[in-house]
Amino acid sequence: MPDWRRVKDRLFTAATVALALLAVAPLFHILATVVVRGGSVILRGGVSFFTDPPAYPGSGELGGVGPALLGTLWLGLVTSLIGVPLALLTAIYIVEYREGRLARVARVFTSSLLEVPTVLIGMLVFLVVVVPMGRYSLAAGSIALAIVMLPYTVSYVERALEGVPRTYREAGYSIGMTRAQVVFQVVMGIASRGVAAGILIGVAKVLSETAPLLFTIGSARGSYPTGPQSLLEPGDALPLLIFQFAQTPYSNWQDLAWGAALLLTLIILAIFTLLRLLFREVKL
Amino acid sequence: MVLKRLAALLLLVAASMALLSYAGQRWRPEAPDSIVLHGEGSSFLYPQVQAWSEEVRSTYPWLVVNYNPTGSGAGQSAFIKRVVDFAGSDPPLTGEAWERLRGKVVQLPVVIGMVAVVYNVPGVDGLRLNAEVLALIYRGEIEYWDDDAIARLNPTANLPHERIIVVHRSDSSGTTQVFTLYLHKAAPSLWPQELVGKSPDWPVDYTGRGIGGKGNQGVTELVKRNPYSIGYVEYAYAVKEGLSIALLENREGEYVAPSPEAAQEAARNALGSLPDSPDGDWSRGFDSVIYAPGRGSYPLTTWSFLLFYKEYPGPEAEAVRAFIGWINTEGQKRVVEGYVPIPEELRSLNLKAVEMIGVAGG
Repeated sequence: MPDWRRVKDRLFTAATVALALLAVAPLFHILATVVVRGGSVILRGGVSFFTDPPAYPGSGELGGVGPALLGTLWLGLVTSLIGVPLALLTAIYIVEYREGRLARVARVFTSSLLEVPTVLIGMLVFLVVVVPMGRYSLAAGSIALAIVMLPYTVSYVERALEGVPRTYREAGYSIGMTRAQVVFQVVMGIASRGVAAGILIGVAKVLSETAPLLFTIGSARGSYPTGPQSLLEPGDALPLLIFQFAQTPYSNWQDLAWGAALLLTLIILAIFTLLRLLFREVKL
Repeated sequence: MVLKRLAALLLLVAASMALLSYAGQRWRPEAPDSIVLHGEGSSFLYPQVQAWSEEVRSTYPWLVVNYNPTGSGAGQSAFIKRVVDFAGSDPPLTGEAWERLRGKVVQLPVVIGMVAVVYNVPGVDGLRLNAEVLALIYRGEIEYWDDDAIARLNPTANLPHERIIVVHRSDSSGTTQVFTLYLHKAAPSLWPQELVGKSPDWPVDYTGRGIGGKGNQGVTELVKRNPYSIGYVEYAYAVKEGLSIALLENREGEYVAPSPEAAQEAARNALGSLPDSPDGDWSRGFDSVIYAPGRGSYPLTTWSFLLFYKEYPGPEAEAVRAFIGWINTEGQKRVVEGYVPIPEELRSLNLKAVEMIGVAGG
């Protein structure tokens, strides 16, 4: 006589595994398609894929995504410079200074920022930054991306800070540390992995955003942002190029979009690898 | 600790950026005194403007043109707010908007486009259709491919007794506007004014045989994948994807396939109802190119405009003059596959704009 309870248990496990595979299958399908189609494009383009501007639409040549790649890196850098201090300090305020009434308001506002469609954030930046400046710019794009990044990073850092047991803070106070010293030297040290994760996840999230850039950076594919002065000029970014080129009928531009998709995936992957390498878990 | 590591990260990014900037400049040195023009608007115009921006550098190495394809409406509003130097738009400024900017702007039709009616019926080539039949198909009143109305136009074709799958755009689109305007102009009793627009309420959807595709790409895919379907896309998509293209009846009763010559013929015959100056009001008469009279003209023809100001603060004025001049001479010889150059008559009309542009206060 079979042991029905064991059979049922096995069946349940098998069903769970099968459904989990089903859930991740589309992800792997997407990844595989991007790697295969994008990989062949990058191999065909070689170095010039990373450095050249896009070629003439409908021509046999490929060109490259140089300006967009450079633009994405600038956006990542400047967005971090604006967004990280803002998000870190907000999270610290929310967690460490929670007795303030404003802290509660800040928490509600940052978390509800998650619900705002990112294209609206782009339009807001268009109205308050682009129109007064009189032109699109990478700086305007960075501001939009920093706003998009804020709620993600704040909520991750919040959780990391909350995970630090109270006793460590008390230990800090007991040796006469000020509140700020406790936060920056004790709590942040212990929570460093979570904090770094929050920052990098935020950056990775915004690097692949298209909508906030539509009305802020201006898709300038002809010129390279070669220095900080270019931040006040229009620029390009990889996700924007993918979005706009994929919608054209020209196969060389569609190829560029595939190549750019792989490139963007690799950049995000690199960020997560760095995260694993640089920040190890702090054992308590 | 955390900060130190983050600093290391930032340093890494900065280093890679320095490297890329160096590479970028080595691969493509930029003229030190280059002038940059920024444009925005129609996504239909985008590949063409991007191509021109590359080509124009062989004549004017100092001229850098950027274009942001956000759509005609967004382009016009950015232009009016003076966020960009020029706009690309499928329709010109409305009469009201033009009135407000009267005397300050020029509008130039720079390139001709076509909408192709595409179909997927195995064994049927050179299908002939007219606006009445298309209107009935998109109203859902013609259900089968071997309907008498279609058979009458195609006496020799071997039409199957299959249900027609009717494909249209699901998103708001200028292509839809052109297609429905043609139906209304050529068959007003079957296709009333209410059904003209960027996303009309398609009657065929109520029969369950209508499906929507997002973008030209979406419609192309649907027609390719569904036998016995019909749809409409920008000409370039139809050619690139090798879809069967229908011949359409024009105002003279001829059946014409889309071709550069047929589109130019339509443009030439529409000239009479256009303003005689680039700074005139183009809001009326610009659509006369759709279902234009004249032998050999293709009825689903359209054009797209570039909008410029008449005054620019500084060196941009010179750049705009050079760009307009180049587009209407050299640029017309370098038209991307899928677009059609404008006829001679329009080029000389557009070139009048060169003299109208100057430095503000100068």
